[in-house]
Amino acid sequence: MRDQRAPAAGTDTAAAAPGPDAAPARPPPARARLRLGWLDALIAGLCVLAVAWLAHQVNTRLDYRWDWSVVGAYLVRVDPESGAWRANLLLIGLLTTIRLALWAGLFAAVLGVVLGLCRIADALFLRILARLYVELIRSLPPLVIIFIFYFFISSQIVPLLGIDDFLRGAAPATLQAVNVLMGPPQLVPAFLSAMICLALFEAAYVAEIVRAGIQAIERGQWEAAGSLGLPRRDTMRFVILPQAIQRVVPPLAGQFISLVKDSSIASLISVQELAFMAAQISATTSRIFEVWISASAMYFGLCFGLALLFGRLERRLGRGLR
Amino acid sequence: MRGWHRRGVMALGLAAGTAAAQDAELAASSALEQIKQRGTLKVGVSPTLPPGAMRSKDGEVIGFEADVATRLAEDMGVEVEFVPTVWDGLIPGLLSGTFDVVISVMSMTPARNLTINFTDSYSGTGMFMAANKEVAAGLASAEDFNSADVTLATMRGSTTTTVAQRMMPKATIRQFEDEALMVQEVVNGRAHAFLASAPRPGFEVLANPEKLFLPLEEPLVRSAEAMAVRKGDPDFLNFLNNWIFLRQRDGWLEQRHAYWFDTRDWADQVALQQ
Repeated sequence: MRDQRAPAAGTDTAAAAPGPDAAPARPPPARARLRLGWLDALIAGLCVLAVAWLAHQVNTRLDYRWDWSVVGAYLVRVDPESGAWRANLLLIGLLTTIRLALWAGLFAAVLGVVLGLCRIADALFLRILARLYVELIRSLPPLVIIFIFYFFISSQIVPLLGIDDFLRGAAPATLQAVNVLMGPPQLVPAFLSAMICLALFEAAYVAEIVRAGIQAIERGQWEAAGSLGLPRRDTMRFVILPQAIQRVVPPLAGQFISLVKDSSIASLISVQELAFMAAQISATTSRIFEVWISASAMYFGLCFGLALLFGRLERRLGRGLR
Repeated sequence: MRGWHRRGVMALGLAAGTAAAQDAELAASSALEQIKQRGTLKVGVSPTLPPGAMRSKDGEVIGFEADVATRLAEDMGVEVEFVPTVWDGLIPGLLSGTFDVVISVMSMTPARNLTINFTDSYSGTGMFMAANKEVAAGLASAEDFNSADVTLATMRGSTTTTVAQRMMPKATIRQFEDEALMVQEVVNGRAHAFLASAPRPGFEVLANPEKLFLPLEEPLVRSAEAMAVRKGDPDFLNFLNNWIFLRQRDGWLEQRHAYWFDTRDWADQVALQQ
């Protein structure tokens, strides 16, 4: 599991009750270092120097004429008929990436929770099944999964669903809705394949996070609930899950952010997301570095924004449940 | 004797009947019929191959190949729908039915032809090299480049790689996913030369006159680009071949090819200076 600041590590309750060797009345050391010292300034200065040196090297060694105007032209365009601003390829790609990540994240969460619960179920069959799935998916690189899935499985399934014919015969209002939810209708089959594939892939990781989150709850909680006469199902629902949720939010957030980045492999099966758009634009204009740096900045903005958002969610959950 | 004769005639008639039925079935299942019924021609294209196929700053697929596909659809009386696809996904996408035809600067090769059908060639270019003035100074022929000290940059999965391997087997070949990165590697002097179809090498020399030069007068090989369709569809193939023949006859193909390959009048369409 990547990004596993594991739920087991979040033993907040343990921190409140110091162990026997903890020195009694000493303030925690983090408090004392709120001001920046000269050493910090020195390290920061060295970092800036290193970056500046690298930039200088790139500029002199790399024979490259920078031209950022291309990026602007491919971010937004002016509609020739109405004169209005329209999103151009890069922004459309970013939107597709967001759509892909949201849908895949949603399905991965549902499937992952079910699988996670199966992993700790009483029934041996469910445990074996879930274990098999998780181990299989986690042992394959996403690149391989998406190729196998797209060319062997989805080319069989998607035509069966009749999505293509449905979309061609659909009413304008339906198409409008599809356009908002999943992007241009004619590209929906590829989008769906990528979405299902990413969801199946991420679900394995979500399942492990959920399992670890539940198993990290102390045995005492189970025993206490049992001694109160709560059946297993109610113990899970009222005692274990509320505590587990608080613990799995940080690793789940990390998993979602990595899903956003993983979505770039969908470019391999020609989903028109950010990485694919960037590849086309860089080939068309030969402005490789400008285009890829811009795409990186967009990925960073998206992921960092999500990190901030999840940080707030975490704090709020922490307040509500403590 | 008469009995045998009659049975023979009957059997023959029966066989002819089934054959006719099969032919009708084949014709009905042709991509041609599906396209007419659907009202759109779905074209697989990799818009990473300027000036054959690229993305305009209005977000459209443009280039010589796009013109060919648009005119083809127009002559069929249907709409054209481009399915932008990564280069490696073109043949798998065609086979899995994601699009009806590949029109994407694809040169005919026997290896490809084993899995897909090619139409007659509608366009052809030569493959040239552009080399770095510093590291490849004095090299002027394929034999000069055929040395263990030389590094060549090619595109993965493209004919540039096979040509380099065949004609310059001693050189180190580095394969790239992205043509722009391949060119940059030579501009930076980390590879001696790159192989690409005309007009890319010439354009890159114009864009980097103090860094690159054209070592060869004649092309390494001449390529023949054709449309690709699925096997087992003679009707569609016949239609496309005759369309190409007619558009060659009336000079339309030549005129569009000249516009995209011999001029740079289209540069402002892709936000580049001319």
